Amino acid sequence: MPYRAPNQRAVTPQNRGRFPGYDVLDEVERWDDVTAGAVLERLTPITDLSFFSKEEDAIATPLCDLLLAQDGEPKIPVVGLIDVRLALGEGDGWHYDDMPPDPQAWRESLQHLDDDALTVFRLKFAALSRDQQASIVQAVQDKSSSSESWHDKPAQQVWSLWTRYACAAFYSHPWAWNEIGFGGPAYPRGYKNRHVGGREAFEVADHADRDPVPFASRVEEARRNHAKLVESGNR
Amino acid sequence: MRHRLLGLEDVRRRNESAWLIPNDGSRDNHRLRDDMRRFPDSEEVDLVVVGAGAGGSVLTQRMARAGWKVVALDAGPFWDPDADWVSDERASHHLYWTEPRQIGGADPVPLGSNNSGRGVGGSMVHYAGYTPRFHPSDFRVATLDGVGADWPIAYEDLRPYYQTIEEELPVAGEDWPWGDPHRYPQQAHPVGGNGEVFMRGARELGIVAKVGPVAITNGRFGNRPHCIYRGFCLQGCKVNAKASPLITHIPDALAHGAEIRANSHVSRILVDDETGRVTGVVYIKDGVERRQRARVVAVAGYSIETPRLLLLSSSKRFPNGIGNEHDQVGRYLMVQGAPQTAGRFEDEVRMYKAPPPEVTSEQFYETDPRKPYKRGWSIQTVSPLPITWAEHVAAQGHWGETLREYMRDYVHWAVLGALCEFLPMPENRVTLADELDRHGLPVAHFAYSQSENDHQLVDAAQGVMEDLLRAAGASEVMTIKRYAHLVGGARMAARPEDGVVDAHQKVFGVENLFLSDGSVLPTQGSANPALTIMALAARLADRLAGPVSMVR
Ligand SMILES: Cc1cc2nc3c(=O)[nH]c(=O)nc-3n(C[C@H](O)[C@H](O)[C@H](O)COP(=O)(O)OP(=O)(O)OC[C@H]3O[C@@H](n4cnc5c(N)ncnc54)[C@H](O)[C@@H]3O)c2cc1C
Ligand code: SF4
Repeated sequence: MPYRAPNQRAVTPQNRGRFPGYDVLDEVERWDDVTAGAVLERLTPITDLSFFSKEEDAIATPLCDLLLAQDGEPKIPVVGLIDVRLALGEGDGWHYDDMPPDPQAWRESLQHLDDDALTVFRLKFAALSRDQQASIVQAVQDKSSSSESWHDKPAQQVWSLWTRYACAAFYSHPWAWNEIGFGGPAYPRGYKNRHVGGREAFEVADHADRDPVPFASRVEEARRNHAKLVESGNR
Repeated sequence: MRHRLLGLEDVRRRNESAWLIPNDGSRDNHRLRDDMRRFPDSEEVDLVVVGAGAGGSVLTQRMARAGWKVVALDAGPFWDPDADWVSDERASHHLYWTEPRQIGGADPVPLGSNNSGRGVGGSMVHYAGYTPRFHPSDFRVATLDGVGADWPIAYEDLRPYYQTIEEELPVAGEDWPWGDPHRYPQQAHPVGGNGEVFMRGARELGIVAKVGPVAITNGRFGNRPHCIYRGFCLQGCKVNAKASPLITHIPDALAHGAEIRANSHVSRILVDDETGRVTGVVYIKDGVERRQRARVVAVAGYSIETPRLLLLSSSKRFPNGIGNEHDQVGRYLMVQGAPQTAGRFEDEVRMYKAPPPEVTSEQFYETDPRKPYKRGWSIQTVSPLPITWAEHVAAQGHWGETLREYMRDYVHWAVLGALCEFLPMPENRVTLADELDRHGLPVAHFAYSQSENDHQLVDAAQGVMEDLLRAAGASEVMTIKRYAHLVGGARMAARPEDGVVDAHQKVFGVENLFLSDGSVLPTQGSANPALTIMALAARLADRLAGPVSMVR
């Protein structure tokens, strides 16, 4: 059983979540060791990047922080996890015939964020405030929704590249599983209580009783905050 | 006894795979692999099979039993579920075919994890596990509906093979009322939260939904244990409950003297320019180019790699690629439209707890004369794990805080998927691109565009799924458009002008070259294809090994 310091228990990114005290890692003992190895490796600190240059890191980090609303500690090292993947050449294989292969597409699109920042704010992307960065990113998504191109590439494909890699990194991390209440690996243990409303002994109920704000209002508030962020950057 | 057709012993006599797996908790028979027969490259074997997936493995097992000397070459590894697979989404990337490919056309189809596998067992290692039969109408679509194509064979030609493969996998499900009504060897599994929601919504709307059909053993089958309901079917079943050829046909093939040569990427098929017969294959293993001679070659690399290999195998005799005299190779490649609809429930559904394949409705499968479109769709549970679920949410355009808030609500969502029968079109095809892979071979370019009929099917299926989830009590629904499955690309036809292989899956114009995978399908119905691919391979084996072998 791996040891974890008390402050490393039930961690969620930015301490947000709806399953208080839930720690998927409490179950490590009941996972097979190959799986446990793969998951625990994600907790290893990533100190040096191998794929992204320092300049690219300075763009990729705020971009991924924005995509996943990581505005504080504790943070899942999304850029580090993407970097490992790109460095190993562990892409998805396929690419759109009007896009370069993923690693090159990453480099080029980060450069284009810098270009946009210089055009709009006369500063590098890294030097912008968070809301300014958000407005630049939102502009790419707007182009994606209306199927326009962005720096001669289909914006939709660029958007899908960023979100695909960023979400895969974030939601592969056990802290994200704590946040969303996911049961995690389940071999050889399996699940017993599989009906609607069913929970295993180690699972924690959604926080609804202590935070009775209905889902629709929570999403509405998230939307409002998001819109505020983007708009203030536009000003 | 959960295995109803008292034929368990009978199955074992035909195919002993499930009994060759150890019963000590390990998932792989290392002894069988160590003792595997090994043929030297210089020996002319009876049959080389390219690709040990759904089609290739069944053919290998059957022909080894028939006494043929068989070598199956697979580009990927010979998996050991204990050591190589994990109960984790992200770390299962190595199961997919991730060699470079290009996609284009008006509606490009993303490949990778969603479409094709690599390694012994093929894409079935990480397929969901649904194993429905095609309907009799699927074989006569042109005659009945004036669209698509007719097969040169009928449903009845496949029926006996459907049944034998269903017994060997084995398949669990309720009595099946659609298509050619039939029963399954095993009773249906109990359903989890997602399946419950589907059944409830269907009941409200008067839609018939049935549990199954899944190739997941309900109860012990040989030395394969019962499903433990852990939801990682698409990451490879570490339990050995879900069927893939790695455990359903390869062990028996090994026991009957077949060689499975893993990590061997076939780069071309060899042709004798004098006779026009094929003489074997060139393959790359550990960076070295080698040759395997064979009396007969069968290609089973799936709908992208099979056409690519035929195109790469050009020669003096076949300058445009083998089997491509009429420019048919790579054409009529099909994907199913697979819109995915999620519904939000106040109760916790926790859909990750059961196998994603649980419940199906084929009520909308056939052409409805009252509708403006032809053919139809099926509906199934899908149950994405967190990363795939994030793709669903992000595809709505959510990012930042909104994305996180939706994701935090994961346990409250149920997800259904439709499989829409997109029609085969000649422009939807594989060609060779300028880009080269690490072996220096041109990669495949796959162009795809939808027809008007295709769009209408997706919209109609989306409407039904959204209604169904609302009827089950969903307060919000969200749908994304995606694709599933690949079939066709080297289709079966009555005449060489219309396809690549004849009714016996023999390549037109070449006496000893066969295709034994999903690429030969002329239409796709709204059914998941693996069972049909295996049934076709079993039929091909009967033809090859029969008293009057087709090979001249
Ligand atoms: C995520 C997912 C879910 C799915 N769910 C279902 C489902 O629920 N039900 C269903 O019926 N189907 C499902 N499918 C589809 C199903 O898995 C495939 O249709 C089926 O496995 C295809 O069989 P095949 O024999 O044509 O090819 P495969 O099974 O893919 O086998 C092809 C093999 O050939 C090898 N190969 C390719 N090229 C070469 C070469 N040049 N040299 C050597 N080897 C080569 C590959 O490594 C591979 O092992 C799913 C697929 C995916 C990806
Ligand atoms: S849910 Fe069942 S069939 Fe699917 S991977 Fe887990 S044990 Fe295997």
